[in-house]
Amino acid sequence: MKGPLIDTLVRQGVSRRTFMKYCATLASMMALPPSAGLAMAEAMASARRPSVIWLPFQECTGCTESITRSHSPTLEGMIFDLISLDYQETLMAAAGHQAEEARLNAMKENAGKYLLIVDGSIPLDLDGAYSCIGGRSNLDILKEAAEGCAAIVAMGSCASFGGIPKANPNPTGAVSVSDVIKDKPIVNIPGCPPIPVVMTGVLAHYLTFGSLPELDDKGRPKAFYGETIHDRCYRRPFYDQGKFAKTFDDEGARQGWCLFELGCKGPVTYNACATAKWNGGTSWPVESGHGCLGCSEPDFWDAGGFYKALSMPADPLKIAAAAAVAGAAVGVGLSFANRAKKGAAKAAHETTTLADLEK
Amino acid sequence: MTLDSIPIHVIESSPAEPGLSGNAPPLLHELEEMVRRLLDSGETSAIDLGALPLTPADLDWLRIGLGEGEIAVTLHANGESTLSETASPGVWWVTHRNEKGAVTSEFIEVAFVPELVKAHPQDVKMGLERLELLISDLS
Repeated sequence: MKGPLIDTLVRQGVSRRTFMKYCATLASMMALPPSAGLAMAEAMASARRPSVIWLPFQECTGCTESITRSHSPTLEGMIFDLISLDYQETLMAAAGHQAEEARLNAMKENAGKYLLIVDGSIPLDLDGAYSCIGGRSNLDILKEAAEGCAAIVAMGSCASFGGIPKANPNPTGAVSVSDVIKDKPIVNIPGCPPIPVVMTGVLAHYLTFGSLPELDDKGRPKAFYGETIHDRCYRRPFYDQGKFAKTFDDEGARQGWCLFELGCKGPVTYNACATAKWNGGTSWPVESGHGCLGCSEPDFWDAGGFYKALSMPADPLKIAAAAAVAGAAVGVGLSFANRAKKGAAKAAHETTTLADLEK
Repeated sequence: MTLDSIPIHVIESSPAEPGLSGNAPPLLHELEEMVRRLLDSGETSAIDLGALPLTPADLDWLRIGLGEGEIAVTLHANGESTLSETASPGVWWVTHRNEKGAVTSEFIEVAFVPELVKAHPQDVKMGLERLELLISDLS
């Protein structure tokens, strides 16, 4: 497609204000200052449409589900249309040899320029025989596609860190994209699945600035993964006040108090759920009353149990000095309280407790 | 054993209303500073409410405190957005919604007129072409 993005949008009946509104929301999601929305709108309006190839490996299609769900009639969907998605097995009409041909053609025509999206981990055991497409191993296809790409987006926890296929004992020898490809810029968008707008946000950033966004030490865009769930949680004030739900049905739970003691991994999980939310901004796990599972962190499946309280206070180094002292005191108090509670529960042999859930 | 027989020492809950986190009042000071800047230099600014740990009760408290002004603008673009002036002129409560009516982002904007309300020269040019077309149809 030729010409700036805003012209294409206008042809599709999208007004400039719709676009500005979208950019304002996007800037908010990316934790940019509110004024950045305007700057983004101006830059993005003149962007052009890049070719994108999406490869699915050892995955459950949950990532694709997540991304397609949020889209259809929204502007995000249009932005998605405004990239040239040349290969996506689940979404494309072509199949078999035709599909593979589309991929090879796109790779040839856009050599050195296309964006490669990967979801799913790559199995290495038995020469990669655990997962093949068209008779070729994932490892083989990834290496071939990575060679001519401008950058790789590792979609979801499996592509980013190995995810559930890599969970102990990792029967297929699953690894992440960055374990295989070492010579290309890679951006990890972990989450099980990742938040749709985070995906479109990274694409928008690529359209806007022609480069990948700034990344943290785990290769995640800082705009979305710069702060923990806990930092942005609307229940955070209750943590600071030491108000905790002790069970899923007590008064504290009804009052919406902090879920830290019920195993919430929010303090050590970097993701944007607390601000971007899910299902079109309807809600998110903590708002629906369940602690964060930490799905955007490496090896979250083997991290010791979803209902066990973290033994450490919430990242004391990151909080301001005064708050850190209070936080640490709460944390230490908690681990003692937890131990005492577990002991008491065991002695009294009460009905189902959190400890039982952990068995 | 009934619940009544368990001795409970009731501690008076905090005097604040339920659900208030205490994070909203400092925003008023920030707004005060922003309005001063608008008056002194014409600089516009905004607070992204989605980025702050505010409870629904906090938002209500803020909304009620800021009050209703004389002007409310409704924008129909990919869902409805409202830009309402508060009782303090120059302070606007901006809510963006998607087609299903869910809030996608919320700001307090400090400006004489929010940027989104103004017409872009490019769009005005297109409007002019339309007018010219209308006029040419007259003859």
